[in-house]
Amino acid sequence: MTARAPLHTGELLISLGLIALGTFVVWETRSIAETQGYAQIGPRLFPYIIGAGLTLCGAVLAWQAVAGGWRHVPQDEAHDVPDWTAFAIISVGVLLHMAIIGWAGFIIASTVLFVLIARGFGSRRVVRDAIIAVVLSTVVFFIFTLALGLSLPKGPFNWG
Amino acid sequence: MSGFAVALTLKNLMWGFLGVTLGTAIGVLPGVGPALTIALLLPATAGLDPTGALIMFAGIYYGAMYGGSTTSILLNTPGESATIVTALEGNMMAKRGRAGPALATSAIGSFVAGTIATILLTVMAPIVVDFALKFGPAEYFAVMVLAFTTVSAVLGASPARGLAALFFGLMIGLIGLDSQTGQARFTLAIPELLDGIDVVVVAVGLFAVGETLYIATYLNREEDRLETMKGSIWMSKSDWSRSWKPWLRGTALGFPFGTIPAGGAEIPTFLSYAIEKKLAKNPEEFGSGAIEGVAGPEAANNASATGTLVPLLTLGLPTTATAAIILAAFQQWGLQPGPLLFETQPLLIWGLIASMYVGNVILLVLNLPLIGIWVKLLEIPRPLLYAGILIFATLGAYGLRNSWFDLALLYIVGVIGFLMRRYDVPVAPVLVGMILGPLAEQQFRRALAISQGDLTVFVSHPISATVFAITALVLVGPPLWRRFARKGTA
Repeated sequence: MTARAPLHTGELLISLGLIALGTFVVWETRSIAETQGYAQIGPRLFPYIIGAGLTLCGAVLAWQAVAGGWRHVPQDEAHDVPDWTAFAIISVGVLLHMAIIGWAGFIIASTVLFVLIARGFGSRRVVRDAIIAVVLSTVVFFIFTLALGLSLPKGPFNWG
Repeated sequence: MSGFAVALTLKNLMWGFLGVTLGTAIGVLPGVGPALTIALLLPATAGLDPTGALIMFAGIYYGAMYGGSTTSILLNTPGESATIVTALEGNMMAKRGRAGPALATSAIGSFVAGTIATILLTVMAPIVVDFALKFGPAEYFAVMVLAFTTVSAVLGASPARGLAALFFGLMIGLIGLDSQTGQARFTLAIPELLDGIDVVVVAVGLFAVGETLYIATYLNREEDRLETMKGSIWMSKSDWSRSWKPWLRGTALGFPFGTIPAGGAEIPTFLSYAIEKKLAKNPEEFGSGAIEGVAGPEAANNASATGTLVPLLTLGLPTTATAAIILAAFQQWGLQPGPLLFETQPLLIWGLIASMYVGNVILLVLNLPLIGIWVKLLEIPRPLLYAGILIFATLGAYGLRNSWFDLALLYIVGVIGFLMRRYDVPVAPVLVGMILGPLAEQQFRRALAISQGDLTVFVSHPISATVFAITALVLVGPPLWRRFARKGTA
């Protein structure tokens, strides 16, 4: 059961995050202009309640985290060996896509995304993946722009 | 009855067919569920006629149930929690070369359950609607609080985590302009946040991006074992005689659980499994491929899915994540499901319900003879599968308003989804909170406006008071029960 210690750290951090979020919500609510409306129920009430709720849940979870860990979490040995490289590659894929789609266009950005995600899952056949990606992205691009009327960035290609 | 006229028009039949086909294909794929699929299609369908699009969404909802069963039987990792039970016996049957009958009993059982459940829906809807017409804002608010409570604090392992997820979802729902006063809330001086965070971004972030990150980080070590379909797909006479009662029992179990805001399909399917095991002539077969263990839970699963449409259509109350997304779909066209919609748009609602009958028939046809096609989908290598899923995910998020900000949000929500998966925090409360929260706030403020600030209005109205009492009962009941049960055995 030596894997229990790292589990608690993660849980504790998340709980503290919740408390921070709840506190932030309550604090931000003060800058919402209060209009009287009817019977003093304005746009601030629910945010206060929600902020309080978040903070309270965070506090309970933090307490659970330091007192033996969150209750009833199913044990999964898979959690003991995370593949952070995969996480990183996929994250890069998504973020890169976000950064370039505006000027590189949907097709190029999606191809980059596809290849990186596949790589994140362990696929070594980059050329095959790239070809599939280009075909898929192009097909999807045309279906969604022509048939469904969405407007997607074309990037350097200029047709239609 | 005129609903059938609507459902059977060629155009809507086409939508229904498209829906069930897409739904089955999606349901078969591991990692994608009906909630995600519908969320992805929301922007694409915004300009279309709502009746046809909703018929398609219903088809997707059903089809995904059918497709998910196929995966559970043939693959050793089930797609959704509702089909875990099917995997127990179904996969064992497949390993013994009996995949055909397993798939058959699952499809036919789903058809029986779906049809019966839809009949029940047809009968119950007018009754509930009649009752709901007496609802004012106080009553609606009470019912929404009940829904919040049951989706977060009753199901699942930990009320604290469920409530945390709920409040998180409620918070997301707050971002944007307050509907009553037009005040900007939590927009942090970022103009893109003035319209709030779109449900598509959250749903896709949690389900697609979060799931992808999670699987890649933790579950990518082994290949799944795909059982082949040897032998015939037809069931023997003994298979039939062993299946039909579980089908009916499963339906009877599943539907009520689907209708109440405490549902979700896990409870009825597990219950059905336990009951079938108890009632079976050869209980020792369970664990190595007993057909009753597939027939009952599958029927329960489908009946429960139809059941969730009862509170959704009659009261506008979503009880599962998928139901919440369907509610968001209605909202996209400015429609609010509830008793009023039955009055103002009867053709839409009844056409939708009628299309479910038709959909069940189409699904039976699609799933038995065409099973070979769906199995091919299961053979897509995991890297390509998730890469493809993310293409659609980013398309969905970006296509909303061509803003990189939505993609940034998508990633952030995705990481949150990853953490939630990792630390066993339920996802459904986030979606229900986000979609239902603003509505609940509206009703609360309206109720207080009418009562001139008198908070006791929630208990002085009998219906509202009763619903709150039920909520309280549902909250403290189970823990008290457990305490008494322990005392009894101690």
